[in-house]
Formats: sequence, structure tokens, C-alpha cells
Amino acid sequence: MTLANAVVTAEQITAIAQDVWSSFLQLDLLPVENVPIEGSSVTGCVHVSGEWGGSIFLQCPAGHAQVAAEAMFAADPGSLAAEEISDALGELTNMIGGNIKSLLPAPSTLSIPSVATGDTYTVRVPGAVVIEHVALACGAGDLHISIWKV
Amino acid sequence: MLALVLDDSRAMRMILGRIMREAGFDVVEAGDGKEGLERVQTGPVPDVALVDWNMPVMNGLEFVTAVRSQPELRRMTLMMVTTESEHSQIVRALAAGAHEYVIKPFTADAIVDKLSLLGLVA
Repeated sequence: MTLANAVVTAEQITAIAQDVWSSFLQLDLLPVENVPIEGSSVTGCVHVSGEWGGSIFLQCPAGHAQVAAEAMFAADPGSLAAEEISDALGELTNMIGGNIKSLLPAPSTLSIPSVATGDTYTVRVPGAVVIEHVALACGAGDLHISIWKV
Repeated sequence: MLALVLDDSRAMRMILGRIMREAGFDVVEAGDGKEGLERVQTGPVPDVALVDWNMPVMNGLEFVTAVRSQPELRRMTLMMVTTESEHSQIVRALAAGAHEYVIKPFTADAIVDKLSLLGLVA
């Protein structure tokens, strides 16, 4: 889905995410239908400020985040603490957000990532609107990436 | 040979540490620039530091600038490993004293190739 005022295309976001997931997790992401992620999930976020202002969000089911973290830490299944899973998802958000930022108007700065985990939570960026949303999936589950512009 | 891996993500420190150990380095780690600076000032000076840019407390560019201001640390090779890929930021890091610049995501081969270019691995 590429919206009229988007500055980054869905194809570009998809290519960046596929590169990160294959490089670090050895998982192949493919585009899928945009279906809301239900149940426990993990959301990572970085903010961009400067010539362009907004936020980049990654959301995936908790199981997908766990598989991703286990790949990054080279850990046994089920052996990681929640803090380690958040750390890994935060770094994946940082990599995807940083590469998306390189396509946005410069100069701008990238925040340190923040991560939310749970069954029922809502993330809002006051005054921002979604300008792009991409739904992808691999064997570990779905991955949604959205770009919000202030 | 000793390498400092400087990144606020523990997962990234583990990945980079693994690559450096496989390349023959002993590895020490720090989670931000201030901790990294304290480590190189109080312990053995690493031969190379792999430096993230966006970190809390002291970022990677500040770390590079601080290291380059201290003559006793001058022999340490500095390689930025970061998601920051704007041309102006690469120029800033190199002007501050970084020797090489690797953009995340990277492959192990990309890191080793840079180390080879710097004469740190055969």
C-alpha cells in the first residue's frame, strides 16, 4: 500500500526489511495481506526528527520476536529473557528505521529505539498520520512496518 | 589483537563479538560511549574499536572525537558500524577520526574485508 503523500515506497520498505531479516536472521520475508496482528505482540519504534519528522514502527507476534532474538543471540529455543527479546527487536527496528531514514529528506536524526510488549496496548504518535504500511511474513510469523509522519 | 565492540544493543554486541573472535581477536564490550571511553582509558588499548553511532549517554561520534583528542589512544583503529547512512554523517565520522564506516545490516565478510583493508587481519 503506497499512499499519495508517501516519501518512501512499500517496495523500498520491503527490500530493506528483507535485507535485514535475511542478513541477521536467515529468514525470508514475503509480502502478505494486511491482517491485524492479534494476541501477544512486540512493537519497536524509532523517531526521526529534523528535515523530516515522524516515526517508524515494527510490530510482530511475540513468537516471531522470540525466534528473531534467538537467531541474533544464537540461543536455544525458549532460553531468552524478555529483556533480551526486547533488545533484539529494538536493534532490528533501529536497522530498518535507520535505512528508511536514509531515504527521507535530510538532514535528520534517529532516536534510540523503544519497545513495547503485551496483549493489549495502543501506540500513538500525537499529531501523526500513517503514510505507509507494509505487511510481510516469514516462517516465524507476520511483520508489520508502518511509517508515521508528524 | 584486542577489539572493543561498542553498541547499546546486547544482541549486536554478541553478533559483532562473534565475528571478531572468529577473525582472531580477543573482545571486550561496552554499551555506550562513556563506558567505552572508560574502558580504553583504564584497560589495555584495543587495536580496533567497532563503534555504533546512536547510543545513550555518549554517542559514537562523541566517542570517536574523545578518542582522537587523546594522544595515548591514537594508535587505536576506529570503525563505525551503524545504521546512519546519510552522506553528511559518514563525512562527519571520517572527519572526526574514524578510519572505516560499515552500514547495518552487514555481513561477517563485510566486516572482515574492512579489517583486512585496515591491515588488521591477513
